[in-house]
Amino acid sequence: MQGPLTQFLMKNPSVLIFLGLLSAFTIFAAIGSEAFGIGFISTSMIKTLGKTLCFCLIAIAMDLVWGYCGILSLGHFAFFGLGGYMIGMWLMYERTRLIVESSMANAALPPTPQEIQEAIGTQIFGVVGGAEIPAIWAFAHSLPIQLALVVLVPGLLALVFGWLAFRSRVTGVYLSILTQAMTLALALYLFQNDSGLRGNNGLSGLQNIPGLDHVPQSHISLYFLLASAFALGLGFVIAKLIVENKMGNVIKGIRDNEARVRFLGYHVETYKLFIFVLTAIMAAIAGAIYYPQAGIINPAEIAPIASIYLAVWVAIGGRGRIYGAVIGAALVSMLSSLFTGGQIPNIEVGPVNVVWVDWWLVLLGVSFVAVTLYAPKGIGGLIDMIKMERTK
Amino acid sequence: MNEALLEVRNISVSFDGFKAINALSFSIAEGELRAIIGPNGAGKTTFMDIVTGKTRPDAGEVIWGEKNVSLLKRQESQIARLGVGRKFQKPTVFEEQSVYENLLMALDNDRSPFSVLFYRHNESDDQRIAALAEEIGLQDHLEKRSGDLSHGQKQWLEIGMLLAQEPRLLLVDEPAAGMTQEERQKTVDLLRRAAQSRAVVVVEHDMDFVRKLDCRVTVLHEGSVLAEGSLEHVTENQDVIDVYLGR
Amino acid sequence: MISRFLLLLACFLIVLPTQAQEGTAPSLKSIVSQNAPDIIKGSVRTAPPIIDALVALDDPSSLRFLSLWQEKDLWYRKSDEEIFVAEKREDRTYELFDIATLELVETLPKKQIKQIKPNSGLRALIDEALVISRLKSADMSVRQEAISSLSRLANKQHLLPLRGAISAEPNQALKAEMERLERFLTIQFGASSEERVSAIHRASDDLSVETRANLNRVTSSTMALKDMLDDDANIARHVIPGEADFSVEDAYQLLIDNDLAEAIPTASERTQFLIENIGEGKVGRFTLHNLDTQKNRDAAYLSLVAEGKAPFWSPGLSADILVEQFEFVEVYDERDAQVTQAAEVALEKIETSVALSEFVDVLLDAISLASIYFLAAIGLAITFGVMRVINMAHGEFIMMGAYTGFAVQQFVTNYTLSIIIAIPLAFAVTFFAGVALERLVIRHLYHRPLETLLATFGISIALQQLAKNIFGTQARPLTAPEWLDGALVINDVISISLIRIAIFGLGVLFFVVLLFVLNKTRFGLETRAVTQNRQMAASMGINPNFINMLTFGLGSGIAGIAGVAIGLYAKVTSEMGGDYIVQSFMTVVVGGVGNIWGTLAGAVMIGFLQKGIEWFNPANTLAAQTYMIIFIIIFIQFRPRGIIALKGRAAGD
Repeated sequence: MQGPLTQFLMKNPSVLIFLGLLSAFTIFAAIGSEAFGIGFISTSMIKTLGKTLCFCLIAIAMDLVWGYCGILSLGHFAFFGLGGYMIGMWLMYERTRLIVESSMANAALPPTPQEIQEAIGTQIFGVVGGAEIPAIWAFAHSLPIQLALVVLVPGLLALVFGWLAFRSRVTGVYLSILTQAMTLALALYLFQNDSGLRGNNGLSGLQNIPGLDHVPQSHISLYFLLASAFALGLGFVIAKLIVENKMGNVIKGIRDNEARVRFLGYHVETYKLFIFVLTAIMAAIAGAIYYPQAGIINPAEIAPIASIYLAVWVAIGGRGRIYGAVIGAALVSMLSSLFTGGQIPNIEVGPVNVVWVDWWLVLLGVSFVAVTLYAPKGIGGLIDMIKMERTK
Repeated sequence: MNEALLEVRNISVSFDGFKAINALSFSIAEGELRAIIGPNGAGKTTFMDIVTGKTRPDAGEVIWGEKNVSLLKRQESQIARLGVGRKFQKPTVFEEQSVYENLLMALDNDRSPFSVLFYRHNESDDQRIAALAEEIGLQDHLEKRSGDLSHGQKQWLEIGMLLAQEPRLLLVDEPAAGMTQEERQKTVDLLRRAAQSRAVVVVEHDMDFVRKLDCRVTVLHEGSVLAEGSLEHVTENQDVIDVYLGR
Repeated sequence: MISRFLLLLACFLIVLPTQAQEGTAPSLKSIVSQNAPDIIKGSVRTAPPIIDALVALDDPSSLRFLSLWQEKDLWYRKSDEEIFVAEKREDRTYELFDIATLELVETLPKKQIKQIKPNSGLRALIDEALVISRLKSADMSVRQEAISSLSRLANKQHLLPLRGAISAEPNQALKAEMERLERFLTIQFGASSEERVSAIHRASDDLSVETRANLNRVTSSTMALKDMLDDDANIARHVIPGEADFSVEDAYQLLIDNDLAEAIPTASERTQFLIENIGEGKVGRFTLHNLDTQKNRDAAYLSLVAEGKAPFWSPGLSADILVEQFEFVEVYDERDAQVTQAAEVALEKIETSVALSEFVDVLLDAISLASIYFLAAIGLAITFGVMRVINMAHGEFIMMGAYTGFAVQQFVTNYTLSIIIAIPLAFAVTFFAGVALERLVIRHLYHRPLETLLATFGISIALQQLAKNIFGTQARPLTAPEWLDGALVINDVISISLIRIAIFGLGVLFFVVLLFVLNKTRFGLETRAVTQNRQMAASMGINPNFINMLTFGLGSGIAGIAGVAIGLYAKVTSEMGGDYIVQSFMTVVVGGVGNIWGTLAGAVMIGFLQKGIEWFNPANTLAAQTYMIIFIIIFIQFRPRGIIALKGRAAGD
């Protein structure tokens, strides 16, 4: 009996290959980690790997929306950040509550709920000169609600923004600039102290999971790596299901000739909106898994430049192929942390001492231009060429 | 005039003061084959833009079907779903995708995102695609990337996609441009066959092609109808000779 | 004429000492000898009348005496407490001089005399008094300084000497300042209501902060209970607690202060009582672990009240009800109703003019912001608007222009000259950078706008980092020449810096020049031809490659000049380009792509919008920018092609 899933997997062996590689990678990391294994991979490295997997997931989202649907969004990191903020609110609130309650347990009188609220408010919002807990934190005590908000808030923002933008037929570079403006507006808003999200301090201490203080970070980081890998695997399968189906034909059609799709009777705006919102949610989930590993989130993470880097990853990896996005994100973000972390030895070119920490961005920028000019299909395009050579 | 499938009444549109369509009235009956000719700038493409909802006219009405639905307030995709298919001047097929995929997208199935998302291949759709491919002569190229087709094949594929939509009215913009004699003949046959079950409007420059279509002809000039009738009739019309054929 | 004046002066000089010697009128010596013990003691409490008397003498020697007192140069003879001016000699003895004539009286060893050391409070008092004397100094800078210190610390006894000084003041500007000061003093200390009211009237045309502060001082008020007031209290208005800025708590505090009510224990005070009464894990009959709700705590507290262990409180006790039973009024500290009335009227008048001026000021600010946006965007209007090439590195060209200016200033120290050199140089640098970018990258990507956008992003990232590597991360100053340093002051509220005016002028200049270049020259014609139909233009003998290159160079070069201008107004950093890029694109898009008028309209709209939003919420420029962007996003919904849109086929897709 062949179910639809088996059929799908038979037609797309790359899904199985990818899931296999991902599992192998995860098992390798688990064995090498300090938590269960022989410990040659440090906890901070596990975190870096986990974060990289989250970047791969948002890159898949970017590839769907840009590589397949032709919408060069410069705003997906805003959704990523919003997802992080939503989960960060729960992490910070609950942990503060536990700390406050344990410190107030020794007071002369057992604390009243109001006293606890006030103490939490002072703890969290003291840095921005407030003590009241803003209304948007109304559900911060509830993990299920905040998890739902991880999906709902960015999804709703994407829905409203996308609806406005697509219905007025803003396309191409105009749309890109508009998404960039949206990102800038959100970042500027969050930078304010009275945004209710601690202004430029952002949310911090997110690596400490409330109630899990007794679990060492080496274990927690591994759990998050596993969660990241699971989310990435799921994201890959969903993306493949979409693009290898009739939906994929339609959105590629929109990318290549929007008017033709429209005259075929498809309501193009709805399709764009569907993809835009879906990928925004994927980005938000990636962010919600990323920031507990990063430990801190602040508005600078949302700044437009982050979304531009996202486009860079996908372009270098090769857009229009899901694995290309994964390769691009993994490669560039790992290289970036290698170069800026000072792991690459500096070289002397004549009188100029090339310090990679300083020159990495120059290298990245120039290689990005080179990729756009000479290898518009990115690394994925190279892989395609090798495949073609073999089949010939 | 209730038997008309599409009726255009007194539409006008101007771009920055230039009157592209000027009080144009036009109607076509169910199952009719019609050719529209006219010099450059006569408003042929703008006329199609208005009917398909791409351009909004400044004045006038566009009435569709037996229920007399106005098309003016509707979006392109809605008009397409009502049964108006359109072929562009340049062949526009999805070059990155295979002939099969092009036809699959055009098939007259539910267009809502969710039914598209959960679409599953089935025998009947495959059979319809095979039949269409046969009709347009691309049965051997189903898995071919449509960007790799010849110019004429792309034109036929586009017509095939229109047929797949099962429209009641086909608007075809210069199908014969850039085709060889042999390809033209095939195209004529294709359009005449299509017109057996639906209304077809062909915009064409090439007189020879129009003659082969052997149908009623409307001559447009400066955004309005100059003459209408059989090709012989309009070619004898003095006005037509003056503005079009005479030059 | 002059000789007669001199004669008069001579008489005056002769008369003065005679008067002093006669002893009928008070003289320096008589005052000093009568008050010697107090002068020696130097108490802030007893000294003021002495100082006032000395100032009132209004003669040079008494003023000199005051300043010697202040500078601790006065000594007294221990034997009879007579005060002298003393000067140390080389043999460690002291020469004593008469305080009035400065004649040597005798020489005494240190043991027999003692220095008079006024404390700092007293020295300040003396200093204040001396200000008046300095008003008459021949040195204008001393007078100027006296006026400014007077305006800080003037009090009642300065009024008459100041009036005297006004008529003698030769300098018109100083005189005006003195008159203003005199008005303030009259408002505060004038002898009669009429005098004060007329001074208030005269002040009501003056928008300065000082005037407002002075009038506010007259109308300063306190809240009071009506029943507790004297009959002649100058009541400003009746107030209801909880309205305006008079809270119920304030009202209740007033009742407490007047012993009309007892303080209501606050929640935390009550909690404190509970804690103090904990015994054996209980408060009264309540066990501690039950006291984790406010309700139970209240009950426990009531039981304490019942036992008399805590001040009275009940859950229904609220300040609101108590406060309602009293009538509260706002009372002027100034008792003269005529004066306060006049001051209120004057303040209202001033506030109306200030509001008007502030509005004008916001308009000017908006114009200036609009011209900055215009400058930043005008280069884009050409590369993006006319050529349809999206250049994300445009902001970095602005930055390059600004750094060019900075680099020039490292070699040319004359700021005027350096700016004159920097402007064409910045144009040249960014022109060639633009040409290079066009030749190397953009040329290959025409008609692939998204790729162009990405490639120029790459350039932007690289250029930004390159600038960081060369010039460092800290902000570099681009110093404006002195003649651009000031501000055009229209009144106390409206002032506009000359740099902003210059930027405005530059914007106008660019606008006119570009309109001319694009619409009236061969080059502009060819640019438009190439943009609209490349093949056609090529077949008519235009070299499209060359035209594209030049046009792109022109747009980039203009960004460079804009960079110099923006650098003068803001700091030069490697990230400054990023601050302008989004706004610049917004400006071009909102205004309408493809024509310079559109860019102007876009810049004006965005500039006015941002300043307008800031006006409503001045503390928060971040919020203003956020709302502005949201507004633009919505605006584009309704006019996707911008304010000045090209319609129909010409607009293309």
